[in-house]
Amino acid sequence: MNAQDIITPTKTFILNEYLPGEDPAGLTDTTPLMTTGILDSIAVLKLVTFLEKQFGITIEPHEAVVENLNTLSDMAGLVMSKKPSSPTAG
Amino acid sequence: MFAETKTSKRPSRVVIQRPPAPTESPVASYALGGPAQFLIIIVQFALLVILIERWQLENQLLTRVMWLAFAGFIIHHLLPHRFRLAFFALLSLTAVLTGVGHAGPNVWIGWLSGRMTFNGFLYHLLPGLTLIGIGFALIGLCHLPIRFAARVGLVVVAGAGLTLARANPHWFPDVSDMWVILGSMFMFRLVVYLYDLKHGTAPFSASRAISYFFLLPNVCFPLFPVVDYKTFCSTYYNEDWPRIYQTGLKWMFRGVFQLLLYRVVYQFAPLDVYKLSSALDVAGCMLGMYLLYLRISGTFHLIVGLLHMFGFNLPETHHFYLLATSFTDFWRRINIYWKDFVMKLFFYPTHFKLRKMGTLWALSLATLATFLATWVLHSWQWFWIRGKPLFNGKDFSFWMILGVLVLVTAIYETTRTRKRTLAPSRLTLRQRLMMGFKAAGIFAAMCVLWSYWSCQSWAEFEALLDAASRPTARELMIVFGALLLVCVCAMVWGWSSRETSEGRGTQASRSPFHFWRSAGTVTIGALCLLTAPSITTRAIPEFKTVVARLHGDVLNARDMDQQRRGYYEELDVGRTDNWQWHNAEEPEGWSKGKMAFFRERSDFLLRDIIPSISTVLGGAPCASNSLGMRDREYSRTKPANTYRIVLLGASNDMGFGVKNDQTYENLVEDALNSRVADPRYSRYEILNLAVAADSILQRVLRLEEEGFALQPDAAILSVTAVDEQFVASHLRKALIQGVEPSPGYRQIIESVVRRAGVNGKMPAVMIERRLQPYYVELCKWSFQRFAQQCAQHGVHPLIIYRPAPADFSGQESAGRTKMIELARAAGLKVVDLSAAFDSVTDRSSLILAKWDDHTAALGHRLLGDELYKQLVPVLFTSGDQRQASDLLKP
Repeated sequence: MNAQDIITPTKTFILNEYLPGEDPAGLTDTTPLMTTGILDSIAVLKLVTFLEKQFGITIEPHEAVVENLNTLSDMAGLVMSKKPSSPTAG
Repeated sequence: MFAETKTSKRPSRVVIQRPPAPTESPVASYALGGPAQFLIIIVQFALLVILIERWQLENQLLTRVMWLAFAGFIIHHLLPHRFRLAFFALLSLTAVLTGVGHAGPNVWIGWLSGRMTFNGFLYHLLPGLTLIGIGFALIGLCHLPIRFAARVGLVVVAGAGLTLARANPHWFPDVSDMWVILGSMFMFRLVVYLYDLKHGTAPFSASRAISYFFLLPNVCFPLFPVVDYKTFCSTYYNEDWPRIYQTGLKWMFRGVFQLLLYRVVYQFAPLDVYKLSSALDVAGCMLGMYLLYLRISGTFHLIVGLLHMFGFNLPETHHFYLLATSFTDFWRRINIYWKDFVMKLFFYPTHFKLRKMGTLWALSLATLATFLATWVLHSWQWFWIRGKPLFNGKDFSFWMILGVLVLVTAIYETTRTRKRTLAPSRLTLRQRLMMGFKAAGIFAAMCVLWSYWSCQSWAEFEALLDAASRPTARELMIVFGALLLVCVCAMVWGWSSRETSEGRGTQASRSPFHFWRSAGTVTIGALCLLTAPSITTRAIPEFKTVVARLHGDVLNARDMDQQRRGYYEELDVGRTDNWQWHNAEEPEGWSKGKMAFFRERSDFLLRDIIPSISTVLGGAPCASNSLGMRDREYSRTKPANTYRIVLLGASNDMGFGVKNDQTYENLVEDALNSRVADPRYSRYEILNLAVAADSILQRVLRLEEEGFALQPDAAILSVTAVDEQFVASHLRKALIQGVEPSPGYRQIIESVVRRAGVNGKMPAVMIERRLQPYYVELCKWSFQRFAQQCAQHGVHPLIIYRPAPADFSGQESAGRTKMIELARAAGLKVVDLSAAFDSVTDRSSLILAKWDDHTAALGHRLLGDELYKQLVPVLFTSGDQRQASDLLKP
């Protein structure tokens, strides 16, 4: 699993759930979401539930913080750090 | 133990944000890189410190710490970056060492000049040294090389020991000053520190730990924002210094401004529930109670702003909280430090544990758990400030009501997703209008809820609502007008996307920073606040009193009244507002002696003084004679050739807080006896029948029941401008206790009680408020009764008007005129002692203490001089002319 495998469904979830009608191109991998108020504490809880279910991981309370969830990139980093590393192809 | 560590254990992925290392550069690059900016920053900082000193904001220690911080700031900024944190830690420890034990400049000069012994000097440092020692030990426990759970266990055991010691400050009387600050520094931050230590979310080092726990301004403030350790580390110099410093100065100025606004509200808002007479008064009272919170908002701004001056780019506190558009928005804005603390420690852990139950259940239970924790921790905080916990139903219900309101809003927000956009969009007029209406609604609701919290009891809140039960159309218009103003303000400034203390916009997304504009605003604003008092009082001399009331930390009319009521009625000192701690300064046992000195009676006099008893009242020895008076010994039968006067009055006449021979009546008695020239009298006696809290009704009744039996030649009835409150509390107590009025008093009392529609089953505050319109009638009746009874017994009646030592509440002038007119209308001669204190410029020197406005010894001496001067011609006129002139000889 690479970062893009995490970013794509997460981006879709965020666009559907919190940003309906917004141009998907506007939400890049580095768009800040928590620091700009797009994701508030309650939205973060929903997002965490989504990430856990979608990628089969467990997120601890102290990990639901801005460093891990502010951008799609941060979220991918968090998920990948929790997934067992997959063997490289070839 | 204190080597720089990222984490002792790394259970999961965490991101450690190290502060960006600024380029190490010599002094020149810091100062000359922006010398003009640095210079204007120094100017603003100095102006703010002078402003705090001039207005005597908070306490004297704050001024000292501000000057220390000012000098420290310049050195700190000029130091290379790697030394700065260690320097800040050292500066903070200096503040603790010199601040907690009051080791100010005088102590240092005294020791250095040899006027103070080394042991005496050390004694001043002892509380600070003890605090630092305990603090180091607690930090040390957190870093012991043992299992984390064992470290937590040791910290808990140490905490329990310290809690026990705090509850018994007499165990260590030499260091009792330090408990409040120790609690403020460690009670919450230690938990945050352990949490971050466990999860390894921030770097740890000795200088970071010392800086974090002993934060420089903390020594002045018992209530301090719960700074998050991770945020504390990650925001350290994370932006350019001009922006960080200037933001700090802006917030410090905002803090000073809010503290001054708080004083305006505190001194001038109609906060006394006992005195509300209309719906508009009630609205003013509710608004005032809510705005009293400006004190916390102001101090938090000051604290966070000051920390910015040392590079800690901490989040903004209390961001336009009066314009919140929902209860969740209010909770997010008001004290973001607290909100983040409970979210981190309670909300998230509870929610994550319960989420299998479903989002709504988890959200509901986690929110309620968070507010429950807030209530418990609020009591815990109060325990460290006051030495006893604040567990009461009202506090609990306030937090639970707020919790439920936040929860309902949160559920609403969860089910009906709010509109979010990627790009910042301009709000439409309709959106702004909606925002304004919501803000006005939340403002009104919070005023009501806050008043409920601030009222001393449910009965008081009930009385508040009772007073607002019949609003007029004009009053409603004014209230709606005020809410409209909130609505307009919210339309302009109400928007906020802030969520957490970490959730600050990135540098790119934040609004552009205008250094010079901000510096100009702060400089001009500070200069205005510095010069405003002298300009205003020169232009409008009447403003002198207003400005005097805003200077210094003096109690307002309500707190003075409550302080009197609290003393007289043995109410808990914890009655002060939840966000105030004025009475924390009252030494323990200040008025403890009253329990031994007074006894209850079952008749209309309600109480009297126990004969032949010695105790301490208001810090002074106080003894009663065998006749049950706070006075010297006298025989019941008047000795031959003696001119005997009985004095009727309340606590000030009784001499609360001064020694027996310092009371003004004893001074007058001594003066009369030392200058006797009339062979008819070999002795003059003034028998003090004053009893603390006696109403004018009780004073006259006491004359009838006790005074006439002492065969007086004259009776002096002492009255003041604030006697109404004693009539109120007297009748209220009599009604509640079911005490029948004495026969001569029955008719008037029953008539008033009937017309006021009060009974003994009503809440106390409601009885007093409803009786308010009848106080003048009762005073008038009392004067007539006094004149008539004296005439019947052949006693010379005399009224003395005794001024308050300090008129902080501004009631003196109106009250004096009213009382004197009423007395004269009853045909009584009035000796007005108002001029007694004219020579005193600083009237606060005439009161016992900041927390107690009883007349001090100097005030009694001045009253005695004035009374003697006026009494002699009045009592010894006509046939006694010769004697009078003799007596007046110096």
